[in-house]
Amino acid sequence: MEDRPQKAHRKPQAGVSAEKKSGKNKHEKGFNEKAFAPRSGRRAERQGRRKVEIDQTRLHVPLVNRTPDREPPPVIVAVVGPPGVGKSTLIKSLVRRYTKHTLTDIRGPITVVTGKTRRLSFIECNNDLNSMIDIGKVADLVLLMIDGSFGFEMETFEFLNVLQSHGFPKVLGVLTHLDLIKKAATLKITKKLLKKRFWTEIYQGAKLFYLSGILNGRYPDLEIQNLSRFISVMKFRPLVFRNSHPYLLADRLEDLTAREQIRLDPKCDRTITLYGYLRGTNMKQSTTVHIPGAGDLRIKSITRLPDPCPLPTVESEKRRKLSEKHKLIHAPMSDVGGVTYDKDAVWINVPGSFSRNRPGEEGEEGEHEPEGEGEKMVMDLQDVRSTLNDGLAHSQIRLLGSSSVPLTGAPLDGGGDGEDEDDEDEEDEDDDLDSEDGPDEDDEEEWDEDDPAMHQPSVGGGRTESRQPLRGLASQAAKRTEDGVEYAESDSDLGDEFDFENAYSREDDEDDDDAAVQHVRPQGGPSDESGGRRRRRDWMKLIYQSTLSPDEIIRDIDGQHDASKGVEDDDELFTLKKDSTIGASEVIDQTKEAAPSQDQQWEDEDWLDSFRSLFITSGQSMDGDDDDGNPNGEEDGDDDDEDADSEGNDNHSASRDTVVTKSTDALLKKKEALKRQFDAQYDDPDADGKLDFYEEKKAEMAQQLSLNEQEFAEVDEETRSLVEGFRPGAYVRLEIADIPCEMVDNFNPAFPIIVGGLLQTEEQFGFLQVRIKRHRWYTRTLKTNDPLIFSLGWRRFQSIPIYSLDDHSIRMRMLKYTPEHMHCYATFYGPLSLPNTGFCAFNSLDSSTAVFRVSATGVVLDLDQSSKIVKKLKLTGVPYKVFKNTAFIKDMFTSALEVAKFEGANIRTVSGVRGQIKKALPKPDGAFRATFEDKVLMSDIIFLRAWYSIQPRKFYNPVTSLLLADKEKWVGMRLTGQVRREEGLKTPLRVNSTYKPVVRAPRRFNPMKVPRKLQAALPYASKPREMKPQKRPTYMQKRAVVMEPEEKKAVALLQQIRALQKDQVARRKEKQAERRAEHRAKVEKTEERKEEKRKVERKEQMRQAGMKAKRQAADEEQGGRRKRRKTS
Amino acid sequence: MPSAVPFNSQPLVRFEGHDHFRNRLVLSILSGKPVRIDKIRSDDKDPGLRDYEASFLRLLEKLTNGSHVEISYTGTSVLFRPGVLSGGVVSHDCPLSRSIGYFLEAVVPLAPFSKQRLELTLMGITTDSKDLSADLIRTVTLPTLAPFGVSEGVELKIRKRGAAPGGGGEVQFVCPVVKQLQTLNFVEPGKIKRIRGIAHSVRVSPQFSNRMIEAARGVLNRFIPDIYLYSDVFKGEESGRSPGYALSLIAESSTDAFHCAEAVSSPGTTPEDVALEATRSLLTEMKRGGCVDRQHQCLVLLYMVLGSEDVGRCRMGELSPRAIQHLRDIRAFFGTIFKISPAEPMDRENTELLLSCVGVGYVNANRTLA
Repeated sequence: MEDRPQKAHRKPQAGVSAEKKSGKNKHEKGFNEKAFAPRSGRRAERQGRRKVEIDQTRLHVPLVNRTPDREPPPVIVAVVGPPGVGKSTLIKSLVRRYTKHTLTDIRGPITVVTGKTRRLSFIECNNDLNSMIDIGKVADLVLLMIDGSFGFEMETFEFLNVLQSHGFPKVLGVLTHLDLIKKAATLKITKKLLKKRFWTEIYQGAKLFYLSGILNGRYPDLEIQNLSRFISVMKFRPLVFRNSHPYLLADRLEDLTAREQIRLDPKCDRTITLYGYLRGTNMKQSTTVHIPGAGDLRIKSITRLPDPCPLPTVESEKRRKLSEKHKLIHAPMSDVGGVTYDKDAVWINVPGSFSRNRPGEEGEEGEHEPEGEGEKMVMDLQDVRSTLNDGLAHSQIRLLGSSSVPLTGAPLDGGGDGEDEDDEDEEDEDDDLDSEDGPDEDDEEEWDEDDPAMHQPSVGGGRTESRQPLRGLASQAAKRTEDGVEYAESDSDLGDEFDFENAYSREDDEDDDDAAVQHVRPQGGPSDESGGRRRRRDWMKLIYQSTLSPDEIIRDIDGQHDASKGVEDDDELFTLKKDSTIGASEVIDQTKEAAPSQDQQWEDEDWLDSFRSLFITSGQSMDGDDDDGNPNGEEDGDDDDEDADSEGNDNHSASRDTVVTKSTDALLKKKEALKRQFDAQYDDPDADGKLDFYEEKKAEMAQQLSLNEQEFAEVDEETRSLVEGFRPGAYVRLEIADIPCEMVDNFNPAFPIIVGGLLQTEEQFGFLQVRIKRHRWYTRTLKTNDPLIFSLGWRRFQSIPIYSLDDHSIRMRMLKYTPEHMHCYATFYGPLSLPNTGFCAFNSLDSSTAVFRVSATGVVLDLDQSSKIVKKLKLTGVPYKVFKNTAFIKDMFTSALEVAKFEGANIRTVSGVRGQIKKALPKPDGAFRATFEDKVLMSDIIFLRAWYSIQPRKFYNPVTSLLLADKEKWVGMRLTGQVRREEGLKTPLRVNSTYKPVVRAPRRFNPMKVPRKLQAALPYASKPREMKPQKRPTYMQKRAVVMEPEEKKAVALLQQIRALQKDQVARRKEKQAERRAEHRAKVEKTEERKEEKRKVERKEQMRQAGMKAKRQAADEEQGGRRKRRKTS
Repeated sequence: MPSAVPFNSQPLVRFEGHDHFRNRLVLSILSGKPVRIDKIRSDDKDPGLRDYEASFLRLLEKLTNGSHVEISYTGTSVLFRPGVLSGGVVSHDCPLSRSIGYFLEAVVPLAPFSKQRLELTLMGITTDSKDLSADLIRTVTLPTLAPFGVSEGVELKIRKRGAAPGGGGEVQFVCPVVKQLQTLNFVEPGKIKRIRGIAHSVRVSPQFSNRMIEAARGVLNRFIPDIYLYSDVFKGEESGRSPGYALSLIAESSTDAFHCAEAVSSPGTTPEDVALEATRSLLTEMKRGGCVDRQHQCLVLLYMVLGSEDVGRCRMGELSPRAIQHLRDIRAFFGTIFKISPAEPMDRENTELLLSCVGVGYVNANRTLA
């Protein structure tokens, strides 16, 4: 069957399909204009509008992406989810998919090369809120794992809220444990429900992956493949915060502290190194960093290391797919390839026997080919035949190219400072290492020695081949010296290179060393002298390395001094300078400099003519190339050959070849300009005019980025790192000193270490005003002066906020509690952060709390060194003497001085009579005279409404979770009540605070007295109707009633009649009710009967109707049939 | 519970000597790092801070909120902890030992980073021979800021002029708040296309300024026709307490590069002498080349550092000693190092330099959002 070739497809030669397939005649008569034309004008307008709207949704605010396109750092993929959801399994599956490695345990970030331009760093996030916060700040992509059989957990929502406040990275949902749901219908409903919830959290249409079950301890390959494809095509929009801060996710920590020191004092501060890929912006040596969970730190040194997990280069990868050799993995803390890096040791895992191959069994080694990397190393270690000292003595390390004596092993500890000052840092490290290595004659030191061996690509492990030494200090130093050699050479012939290598640290060291002098000397050599004025001086070196004063630098230039001389013997000059400062008159800090000399040359016509070339009116600008090199498109007349001409006028001879090259250059430029002119004239004029604002901005950014790239392209690595710092994407080693020992002692790779660079502002402390809103899922209101844990910028810290609201734009008024469903302001003391930075706040980070832990979210508005919050203060007083509109008031103040302070202040009575404080009274202390708009009552309370400004407490407590042994158990400042509860203390009961029944004296109202004269003058209607209450009983009250006998009888009779009447009425009523009930029952009965009858009737009616309809239908059908029959 | 790394205060940046006092304080405020300056004229017969320096410190206290100044008993050392630039309406009486320019030169780089729009009124001497005059600041310094995005609403009004010994001048400096500076890329010096100038005179014959103009034109007319020299005569109350006159000249290139020069009258000089001095210094200044005036190198260098995290480039003439020290101070405060290379690597005679640096991404953190 298979041999027989399949019948080839024959294209149709004629007919409609042939015509269609050929496509020749498709638009023979032109395109059909009507095909997609709108049917009406209104519709056209609607369509146009829709198109524009869709266009607009595509647009985003143009943001510069600081991550370089070439060699970007690995994308951080965080796998987040509750415990037991399958995070590790997912990472293992993905790593397996990318590199064919099977990981046993996952500790720390795992970097893998996934494509020609992409690497991924997987990191597993544990269930600790601190870790979730930190990871949320650095992750580029979050794989949010959800247990399908359980649903969302509180932590997931908390994590999403944390993400939201720190810039939302991409989130991919992954639903697992779906195999636990047996019923298909339930599964469908669950998926739908979870998806809906997920969409409301992320955005409508967010991608949610379903992972069905586990096969061989991994997820099904097909599903993982789909997931990896999704990851590989994902684009990341730069997040503002990360785009303005350098940061690093450490994938390795190492303790550099000397062992002896630790032995003497186990609690001593440590020096550590952290390794990782730089991200965000450029990191400089001077950057202060913050390690969330540890604190603010200064970098002691940054070194760029060779990439341990490099992307394939263009040369090596010409194919479309990534070759197996380049599918690298770098996971120093997990055991990949049998090597694990711990904080203070390197562990090598060899599954087989540890016996070393005998040298005679070379042939056997060939058979033993699949030898693990670790195994090979152990074998190599066992090969050592000399001690470290011997090795050093034999090694021919030259620190400087020109140094004649190679570094010897003898001065291990003290020799370094005398030998080479320039590599001081390096030397220090070496010293550290050596002393560290000294006590434990471990495999570690051999590691250093055997570095070159490790460099060598191992025979079998194709994958491990290009992995670089991570401990590579020695090699690094060697590399540096190599550079130094090159330097010395280039210095001698070029002279204008920038040599940081040797002299950067020179400023501090006073004593000159031989080696360095030797190295520098070639510059000051004869070539320099002969060069004379030609020699261009190296400004960077003069400014940044020499200790010459600025004046000396300038004088140096004027007086034809040798540039490097100052560098060389600076201490001599230093003393000289000192002398001169004492003798000379004071130098004034002024901008203007002395006027040029009033020389005769100003009278010289030639001299004056020499300025002519500086002006636009100079003749040369007219010779056709006046529009060269001006990016603004403006006309400017400067160009190179013109300059050359002008300088030719200056009678300075230039060598001939430069003139020749210049002329060719000028010719080229001219041609280019002409071409540009031509293009501008004849190319599509709309093409560049069409750029709208958005595209213009994007073009500007692209231009700037390319400039950034180009500017330091040809500068050597060292200078570049000094000028622009280390670029994102570089694999660096950060050395940090003075770290608390707990960080090292309690190091746990499951908790991420992030090194976040701080901006200048963020190093300062002050009051931050933020807009804050209590989270609607947080069950309690937040109270002013209760400590709150903020996650702001890189930092997590506890501070004490004061809540406030803007009161009519006049004042910031303190609030005791946060309002419900509303934003308010909060002010707290802490490290400053740029306005517009988002944050979230927590009352407790403890995982044992059952409630939602994100208590508030918000954004920074303002930074200041003081706050303007006020709270209301009411001072009350009582009048003790009331005149007409004036009253004397006491009990408001305690002294005349206080009154003086408040003179003119507005006061008010409870009844609303307004007044003003006039002047203090001498007699009772603090009493004053006040006037009111009306007469106040003696019983009135007078109050003064004042505003008392309050400052938040200066409390800042960084969350030092990384320093704890149990990292989830960080406890900050507690509330008084909490402390009491935990200590089992009773709340002290103050007598004055207890509630007592309020006893109020009855109010006494004085009678109103109207003077008699006034009474007389009043009209009658207004006259007070004053009548004294009757004192004597009235006649009606005091008369005695005595009845006659007949009268008595009559009254008795009347009473009897009334009683009878009453009884009769009652009986009659009863009877009537009885009758009514009887009647009602009767009526009901008849009604019931009637209803029954009606029901039967209705039934009959319906039956009839149904019959009728049936019959009709039947009739119709019959008729139809009859009809058809007829027609047929 | 283990505590975090002790990091209560930022490390001091230390300096010695009285030189570059203003620049260092300006850098301290912008970077937020406290600075300590020791040995201020410690070897001098009259040790310690001068009155104008003390006055400058007071001005800084007015401009900022939360600044903290400690001056030692002898006045030879100053500790300055910077606060937040608040801006607003501020007025300051400058001592007669220095002109307004001394203060304004330092305020100009600070002003765009305030919390509020700054309206600063300074009273004192408007023109003297040591510092930039109010005219030059108005016509050169402020336009120099334009490529950095500080142009809209920046204004310097000269209300009254005050000549050297007596003073009595008054200027108002208004500066809006910016969010972030734009990155400078200024490598085309262009050719001089026009020359402008202001010849002012107070409490002398108005003819003096005309004489200066005449003399200056006599030199400059041969180079370019587009010369306008304004005669600015202040009279009466607006003319301060002392007589004096000065000529300031501004040369503007086709790419909006400025070069300026100024000469101020001193007893015994004629207006013609002043004019010649000014024109000669202008020509010398122009010859130095570059896109930035020599007296404004410090300002431009500082603003390049404060730009966004991109590469800023600027072509300058030979660096002035102040600029050199400023570069060193910038490194002390911001850790930024400039790449300095010759502008014309082929041309050995050309002393122009191309300075480029990566900005620190400075954002005006003082700006209020609410």
